[in-house]
Amino acid sequence: MHLHPIETVEDLYNYLYVAIQLEHATIPPYLTALYSIHPGTNLDAYNLIRVVAVEEMLHLTLAANMLNAVGGNPDLTGEGFVPIYPAYLPDGETDFKVGLEKFSMSAIDTFLNIERPAVVDSRNIKRSGLLKISRKNISILPSFKSSAGEELHFHSIGEFYNAIAEGLKKLTKELGEETVFCGDHSRQITAEYYYSGGGEIITVNDLDSALAAIRLISEQGEGYEGGIFDYEGELSHYYRFQQIKLGKYYHKDDKPGHPSGEDLSIDWDAVYPIQSNARMEEYPKDSELYDGAYEFNKFYKKFLKELTVALNGKPEMLLPAVGAMFRIKEMSYQLMRNPFPGKEGITGAPTFQVDSI
Amino acid sequence: MRHLKRVVTHQTALEKEYDVVVVGSGISGSIIANELSQKGYKILILEAGPGKDLTLSGYEKYLNNFYTATSKDNNAPYKRNPNASMPRSVDVKKKKPGKPNADSYLVQNGPFISDFTYSRVVGGTTMHFESKLPRMLPEDFNVLSTYGHGLDWPINYEDLMPYYRKAEFEMGVSGNVSSQTFSKQKAYADDYVFPMKEMPPSYLDKCVAKDLDGAEIKLAGKTYSLKIRTFPQGRNGIPNENYKKFNNGELFKPVGAVSEHQAEEGERCQGNNNCTPICPVQAKYDGRKTLAKALGTGNVDILPQTVASRVVIDSATGKVDQIVYKSYQELDSDEHTTSTVKAKLFVLAANAVENARLMLASGLNSTSDQMGRNLMDHPYILTWALLPKIAGTTRGTICTSGISDLRNGDFRSKQAAFAVDIHNDGWGWATGGAETNLLNIVDNQNKFGKDLRNELVHQISKQLLLANMVEMMPDPKNRITVDHKYVDRLRNPRPIVTMEIPEYTMEGIAFARQLSKFVFQRLGAEDYSKYDPMDYGYVKYKDEDYAIRGGNHLAGTHIMGTNADDSVVDRNQKSWDHKNLYLVGAGSMPTIGTSNTTLTLAALCFMSVEAMLKDLEA
Amino acid sequence: MDMNNEQLDEFLEMSTVLTAFSAYKLKGTGQLEAYFNTVVEIVGKATMDELLNAYRKVKKAANNDETVLNKQLRFQILSNDKLGPITRNIIKMWFIGSWYQLPNAWRENYGEAEKDSTFVISTNAYIEGLLWPTIDSHPPGAKAPGYGTWASKPQISEL
Repeated sequence: MHLHPIETVEDLYNYLYVAIQLEHATIPPYLTALYSIHPGTNLDAYNLIRVVAVEEMLHLTLAANMLNAVGGNPDLTGEGFVPIYPAYLPDGETDFKVGLEKFSMSAIDTFLNIERPAVVDSRNIKRSGLLKISRKNISILPSFKSSAGEELHFHSIGEFYNAIAEGLKKLTKELGEETVFCGDHSRQITAEYYYSGGGEIITVNDLDSALAAIRLISEQGEGYEGGIFDYEGELSHYYRFQQIKLGKYYHKDDKPGHPSGEDLSIDWDAVYPIQSNARMEEYPKDSELYDGAYEFNKFYKKFLKELTVALNGKPEMLLPAVGAMFRIKEMSYQLMRNPFPGKEGITGAPTFQVDSI
Repeated sequence: MRHLKRVVTHQTALEKEYDVVVVGSGISGSIIANELSQKGYKILILEAGPGKDLTLSGYEKYLNNFYTATSKDNNAPYKRNPNASMPRSVDVKKKKPGKPNADSYLVQNGPFISDFTYSRVVGGTTMHFESKLPRMLPEDFNVLSTYGHGLDWPINYEDLMPYYRKAEFEMGVSGNVSSQTFSKQKAYADDYVFPMKEMPPSYLDKCVAKDLDGAEIKLAGKTYSLKIRTFPQGRNGIPNENYKKFNNGELFKPVGAVSEHQAEEGERCQGNNNCTPICPVQAKYDGRKTLAKALGTGNVDILPQTVASRVVIDSATGKVDQIVYKSYQELDSDEHTTSTVKAKLFVLAANAVENARLMLASGLNSTSDQMGRNLMDHPYILTWALLPKIAGTTRGTICTSGISDLRNGDFRSKQAAFAVDIHNDGWGWATGGAETNLLNIVDNQNKFGKDLRNELVHQISKQLLLANMVEMMPDPKNRITVDHKYVDRLRNPRPIVTMEIPEYTMEGIAFARQLSKFVFQRLGAEDYSKYDPMDYGYVKYKDEDYAIRGGNHLAGTHIMGTNADDSVVDRNQKSWDHKNLYLVGAGSMPTIGTSNTTLTLAALCFMSVEAMLKDLEA
Repeated sequence: MDMNNEQLDEFLEMSTVLTAFSAYKLKGTGQLEAYFNTVVEIVGKATMDELLNAYRKVKKAANNDETVLNKQLRFQILSNDKLGPITRNIIKMWFIGSWYQLPNAWRENYGEAEKDSTFVISTNAYIEGLLWPTIDSHPPGAKAPGYGTWASKPQISEL
């Protein structure tokens, strides 16, 4: 798939589909690291990662609200929606690997990459936030084909959302707000069915609310105007993860990179030694571990399907769908506590291969 | 939120001047501290328990204590603290004739031995309460003039209505107003809704309702039709769109876990089936949620591990001059310092038993001599049975629905009203829960493997426990007293309980037992209820056996009334005798009807705040 | 603790018979080592050897016949005054995560271990009790299934 400059509502659908896909793609890596932590240990880190994962669910829901607002149909069930890990995401001129791995310094580094505030190097970058470089890896974020047929790449996730914002403004100007935001309002996920303390759900019905949703997504991730907090006063994801790396909590007036709060207690060894980027086909076919991974994938596929139903006009179905997260945790623990046959000291892990079911 | 900074030391508190000293950081104290501090008044809260409970990690410690406790009673999450002990059901013993039970904190004088508990920790007893939040009925406020029993309140239901709304907002009530009509009088404005929609009834509720709804029973010449209805609960659910008009056009925003860092937890109940003793995600309201707001104003300091020991009266003015307190360093040492604190206004918010205990320990029996008297609780009679089919017991909040049709009626001239809870957690309260079944199946029924698993399903998933909560009227003979023979480790007098279940209540208990038999018969359920004469709560009444449990709805020890001769406090919970002293909480309630007391005491506190503000402005 | 892997596997296998849960599900609780160690700590290594030897004999006699296996388990182990109470305690640990003090008769005959009192093995043991999935539920206070899930019929089928 290539993205084009947003010229039509159809283009907007493609972008917002990718946005949903992108937001979802961060969830399996976060959950894998989260559940690899021995229950009851690493409480500081556990809660920090858990909160970010909850907010990624919020971002996914916000992207779906945007898509519904412009008359699209969110679909989390299509082939290729869930990437094959390790997958790649752009960070300026290079890509970085996003894999499924246990709670470790390397996993935290990946998370920092995912949430890193965009630093724009103006020399090699077009006004649109696109880069002309060759990328060898297949990124979760598709490449971009300009109207002149030139293959370009988004500089960062932030630039991708910028492109959506610009597209929304352009279409609203050309077609009128009511034409663009023609979606059925009853399809919106409202605060009745989704709420969490950090960042409220935004229902989207016009340009302003759509831009507010984009702003919430980017600032929750990267921070607001270079500060460590978003405009709601919550620490942004990047700096939350940085606390784990630096072993200290941020306080209100701290400068980026210099948290001055209490120490986090981290025990890197209280973690299940899981197989990184586990693949179902690598588990012996006759093993219970294989069956467990298969059951997990089947369940995860069902979860995405239920989520899709909820996001397509049945907001009340969001609650039971989210209820399934408890089962996902339980099944993850079972996989991670069972040894990987033939691999000394390594245990299984969920593989998130829904397309293989 | 930076509320931890408000947990101050002894030294800091001594150097500051406070407008108000509040004793106790439970729901009453927290509401009052929050409301007054929003107006800029400086408040100091004295809390007897440790103050490490305002962080997520502090709360997780409670949770861990609960998980690893062999007895999972209401106070299982808290370490034993001889400096500020609390009653625990595991400590209750059958009374021996002739002398009081004195080997645990509560000295029980009998004749009835209750296993009621309360918590002396930050957040108070709301830390373990179930958070069932029904209002009292309009008739409950005039029960003496209407039915000839109990006492009339100095206020009417209408007086309290706006404050009930405030309390329902503060505690985040989920419920359905239309399931709350059993009064002959109008109890809610036509368009009123609770902040959140009702908790969905459990599958167990639905199994019971299927065969019970519409059943009719006769009582005192009248016929009552039964219906399973949900209870209002202080637990986060789905905000009600129609509540916006009561909330400045905004959807109600549920309050999640109390934490120094962003927690993203507790904004919605997950169905942990553990409201009592401890909601692991803090979806249930507890007093700390209000306390955290109060501390967030910057005007409230809290001094933990500080037990109010004596109220000192200025003999010239009759006003409270100071409170003497004992502040301890460690839970496992009696080392402490004694000091005093002064303020313009003093608020005792330590709960019905502890308020009375403190006043009596200070020699302040009140002009009416009613201090400590009229002690009430809701006695519970439990009945339990096995349903014919799997009903999914052990899922949901502790209780979602029950029978409320006998909460009011003309029969109240003869016998107590009562409400019936369907316990989603099964027989636990009566028999010890699923663990008891497991041990029996393994040790006595000699099952293992598949047979064991099938038997567990059969014995647990069909359990139905009805908890019948029966009205108890005030009686001056039922009371809290102190005696310097009985003191705790800090030499503070311990509460002595003298209680007898009045005949009026026993009549209600007997009828509730009969109603359960009727219900079980209709459902085709096997009745397993059994009341052992060796049980500490055993009562024989009209040749029938009963074992009665405490409801922890302690009330009445400093009742409000119309003058200093008939009561301890006025309608604003202000002491008749001491003009700068308020005694707040369920202790002020002259009767308790069939409502769990917390919502009403919260409403009373909101009402009292207005009087306190007037006093402070003066 | 010095843990013999072969013994641990035997303990696991015996546990699958006692609980009717698969080895995957038992290991999935993360409690296998903790329960094995608890038994060894309380009754001693020699008694654990004795129990596992007895199980080996039972298995041999059964020769993959489930009916015989169950019968032999009762004859050789569950009705044995030394091994029976320990085995029932193993069942209880798997289902509810607690060790229960052995019966007085056992303690008189085979010695009182200092650690032999009733206790919850650990927070995680409590949370991972297999009693709860058996009844399509969760331990009180943990593993909650989500808002409103209690309204639907439980998914329980007889084995």
